[in-house]
Amino acid sequence: MLDVVGLSAGYLGQDVVHDVSFTVTESDAVAVIGSNGAGKTTLFRAICGLLRASAGTVRFDGVPIGRRRAHAVARLGLAYVPADRHLFPNMSVAENLDLGAYPRRPRKERRDLVLDLFPRLAERHRQAAGTLSGGEQQMLTVGRALMSNPRLLLLDEPTTGLAPKLAAEAYAALAALHDQGLTILVAEQQVPLALELADRGYVLDDGRLQISGSSAELAESPVVQRAYLGIL
Amino acid sequence: MKAVVFDGVVLGLQFGLLGVGLTVVYGLGGVLNLAHGQLAVLGAMVAALRLDAGASVGVAVLTGLAAAGAIGLLLDRTLLRPVYRRRGEPRVLLGLLLMLGVAFVIDGVLGWRYPIEALRVRIAGAPIDVLGVGMRRGSLLASAIALGVGAVLVAFLRFTTAGKAVRSVIEDEVGAQLCGINPATVRALVLGLSAVLAALVAVTRSMTAPVTVDAGIDLTILALIVAVVGGLGSVSGAFAAGVLLGIVNTVSAHYIGSYVTTIVLLGAAALTIVARPSGLLGRGQE
Repeated sequence: MLDVVGLSAGYLGQDVVHDVSFTVTESDAVAVIGSNGAGKTTLFRAICGLLRASAGTVRFDGVPIGRRRAHAVARLGLAYVPADRHLFPNMSVAENLDLGAYPRRPRKERRDLVLDLFPRLAERHRQAAGTLSGGEQQMLTVGRALMSNPRLLLLDEPTTGLAPKLAAEAYAALAALHDQGLTILVAEQQVPLALELADRGYVLDDGRLQISGSSAELAESPVVQRAYLGIL
Repeated sequence: MKAVVFDGVVLGLQFGLLGVGLTVVYGLGGVLNLAHGQLAVLGAMVAALRLDAGASVGVAVLTGLAAAGAIGLLLDRTLLRPVYRRRGEPRVLLGLLLMLGVAFVIDGVLGWRYPIEALRVRIAGAPIDVLGVGMRRGSLLASAIALGVGAVLVAFLRFTTAGKAVRSVIEDEVGAQLCGINPATVRALVLGLSAVLAALVAVTRSMTAPVTVDAGIDLTILALIVAVVGGLGSVSGAFAAGVLLGIVNTVSAHYIGSYVTTIVLLGAAALTIVARPSGLLGRGQE
């Protein structure tokens, strides 16, 4: 479904991500593990069209999307949930969700599905998005992305700023979506959560993919254990 | 006094409609359209020339509005493209300078080709009594148009999918892109629409007094003051500011003299920035 080949990208002519290749197949849940500054956000921004890659190709369902702008990529069914959210703070929760369905009118079934997943959003329907707590804003960002009925969901550190209990809840919601067949690519520092959700994973370090394998293999890998799981 | 205030409201509603376009365009892309009034005059002059050529008022006005809108759209797709590629301060400064250039070009070309042209749309009929004040029909029609268009605009922004898309780009451009909204399309359409609204104000102004070929700079300054007092980016704020400034305008013109009105209005704008930096209805941190 998503094929990334030899992707390099960065800012001001300085690559942050170097020659990254990987694939995500339909109904997969794939984790990209890496510490702060490893290049996860840069990689995701390059995939979803917010950043022009300096080299390499990205294909979504066989369609090259490397030269497309973010709004065009979004319309193909690739929804990106950025770590810094980019909600519409003065608009209501309902309006934020409705815009997720753009350019179509929001479907009632879709909205019900999202509100079932995040009941808190239903309670705050009329409230301005900017007045929500951090956890609620995170739910809204995921909910908005889901409103378009995407075929691939890209999440950049969905647990940023969440208390451990909320982070676990967020991942439970993602697992439910995955069980329904949604393809997920998630970048995460909270490795145990990510590996529990994902079938497979990649370790991104210093802008390069270093290790890949099934979640079980990664959890067993000495490098992952030392660097991300805190096991000596 | 009542008549003066009523005149101020009539004027103010049109100020509001004039400021709205400027404020939304700025909110969307950071371009302070210093050619706003000139685009209005351009539309008005196209309408005036059509009238001279024997067209009916309706056809002439529609042609004028369409011309202003088309030029606005064209400017966005051509001249402003390099502006939108920049971010932050360079974007604001480049947009400001380029639109100032456009203002001079429109002023220059129109003044050179049609130095004595003016638009007058005469609304016939005896004055109508409103709460004991005889109001000219032209004033009432101008107010009705401003109110009606303003209401449609607010409803459009609040309730339609396209209107919400416009607001989303004002609020967070990246967020809008992630929803599949193309900010470039939104900006182009809105600049076109704001030029149409500006030209419409020139048309309604001409119902009470002729709009001359050199009116552009005054209209631009007015739009700027209204947008600043209302809070840049705020639609309802622009209308509130318009009405307030309209009353300030007529009252000061009546009791002091018309030569000081612009100074009084600029003073009001300066005062607003000091007292309420985000505008009359501003939400504080926007």
